[in-house]
Amino acid sequence: MSRMVDPNLTPEDAALLIKEFGLDQPLWMQYLYYLKNFFTGHFGFSFHYGQPVVQIIGDRLPNTILLFTTSIILSALVGIFLGKIASWHKGEKTDTYLTLGALITHTAFLPWLALIMIWVFAYKLGWFPITGMISVEIWLDPKAGLWIKALDVLYHMTLPLTTLFLIHFGSYLLIMRSSMLDTLKEDYILTGRAKGLPEKVIRDHHAAPNAALPVVTSVGLSLAFSINGGALTETVFTWPGIGRELVFSVSHNDYPLAQASFLLIAIVVLLSNLVVDILYAYLDPRIRY
Amino acid sequence: MTTVTTDTELSKRFHWISRLLEGWSIYKKSFLGKIGLTLLAVFALMALCSSIPPLIDPMYQPMAGVDPEIFTATGPSTRHWLGTDFMGRDILSQLLTGARIAFMVGVSAAFMSVFLGTTIGMIAGYTGKFMDTFLMRLADMIMVMPALLVLLMLAALFGQLSIWFIVFFIALFRWPGVSRVIRAQTLSLKHRPFIEAARVAGASNLRIIFRHIMPNVLPLSFLYMTFQVTSAIIIEAALAFLGFGDPGTVSWGMMLQWVWKTGHMFKAPYWLLPPGICISLITLSFYMLGRAMDEVLDPRLRKEVETD
Repeated sequence: MSRMVDPNLTPEDAALLIKEFGLDQPLWMQYLYYLKNFFTGHFGFSFHYGQPVVQIIGDRLPNTILLFTTSIILSALVGIFLGKIASWHKGEKTDTYLTLGALITHTAFLPWLALIMIWVFAYKLGWFPITGMISVEIWLDPKAGLWIKALDVLYHMTLPLTTLFLIHFGSYLLIMRSSMLDTLKEDYILTGRAKGLPEKVIRDHHAAPNAALPVVTSVGLSLAFSINGGALTETVFTWPGIGRELVFSVSHNDYPLAQASFLLIAIVVLLSNLVVDILYAYLDPRIRY
Repeated sequence: MTTVTTDTELSKRFHWISRLLEGWSIYKKSFLGKIGLTLLAVFALMALCSSIPPLIDPMYQPMAGVDPEIFTATGPSTRHWLGTDFMGRDILSQLLTGARIAFMVGVSAAFMSVFLGTTIGMIAGYTGKFMDTFLMRLADMIMVMPALLVLLMLAALFGQLSIWFIVFFIALFRWPGVSRVIRAQTLSLKHRPFIEAARVAGASNLRIIFRHIMPNVLPLSFLYMTFQVTSAIIIEAALAFLGFGDPGTVSWGMMLQWVWKTGHMFKAPYWLLPPGICISLITLSFYMLGRAMDEVLDPRLRKEVETD
């Protein structure tokens, strides 16, 4: 009870807060209160913003989904493509450089990489904005069309997207490479070669689709890692998303907001695992649940 | 006659040494493994040297020592080889202490999570049925939780977390990956003749698990330990970077947070670069170590050497 109530509050405010969350009740009653509030969609008001939590979360959710899904899909696709190339040139220079590059970007410390990106591309070179998601003057301009606004968001998204992409594509590349090497030993590849199929057809149509399946699994398994990374990226680039809101609300003891953001992240984790499972069954006809 | 028996006894007693040497001969062939090991040796040296600078002069204390003549962030000089931070503390000595903290956090969290993961994996694989289902679903649940954000929530609830609390929670979140692998390995071992023989001879379940299964899964556990070290270091650094680390320790994540929060990231590259490079390199070297060890443990490669 005492943790939830800021000692700086006036007694009246504290009393109101205690009443709203049922904080003077025993713990199990508090939990029932919470459940009731949860199912009636009553998440309370943010201490910091003074707005309903649902409204804040609703504002931030699309931004997070935009950045997060784009980065995951982009890095998985590029990882699959480069992994294919690396395995095809196994033992050659291309393979060595790609593998080493993947290892180095994959193990780079994300917040630091983000800071370096800002320092080099936004501060030194001035190519991209340092933080934020939109330019206020464009969005306030009534003449600006939808395309200009979309381009503006894309312009702001470039650096966070690149950071997330660099961190993630390496692991997908490494998985794709080793899975491709296993696939190339299969009998049906030999059959394809015996039939006289061009090497390109064997690589792109016979080997790569089968080898890409473990990458899909790993996207699901590394989701927790990606969400951690998303929150860090949003915080450093002040991207107005759920992850940043969570970090911010935790630092400012804004409990209703922190609770709701965390709940939402849990839901996102569950849903995206479901999506990955369905995608997997769709991609691999051998899988039947 | 006697010499022969002592020879076989000796080779039996020191069997693990010959296995180790054999593993080393495979390890040596890995280029990545050699880089990783060299880098780790450098970091270990840094950790060992961390107590030297404060002995020279108390102003080199990483946390409390302040240069009496410097009050702002300054660049590298002969007095401070890597410069000082915003209140005149020496960056090099902070960096050395950070190496010690990183090893401490990484190795202890990895050890705990591998210990938990191995035990749970063996129990789940060996007992099967309800226990197996229960433990593995629990593992699935924990596996999808973003550990960093859960730790953030805990920090919000309990105020500042101590470094051992953080280590303990990282371990608590990281065992599922290990336990899955160990469970699969245990399942494949369970029906081998030597386990059945032990059971027929009257060995208890506990004895079978610890005496017959554990030695066969331990190499895998060690392999996973290297990957666990990596993730533990990253999680601790990220937590410290967000400002929820143990305020009493100087970790590399903490140093980055100081750069970031005091707004020196554009002004002081000499302060921004070293901690980030260190975190990235130490994770890279543990990762390389793990990949090289993976090759050592790969039965296909081992067979090649055994037939030599």
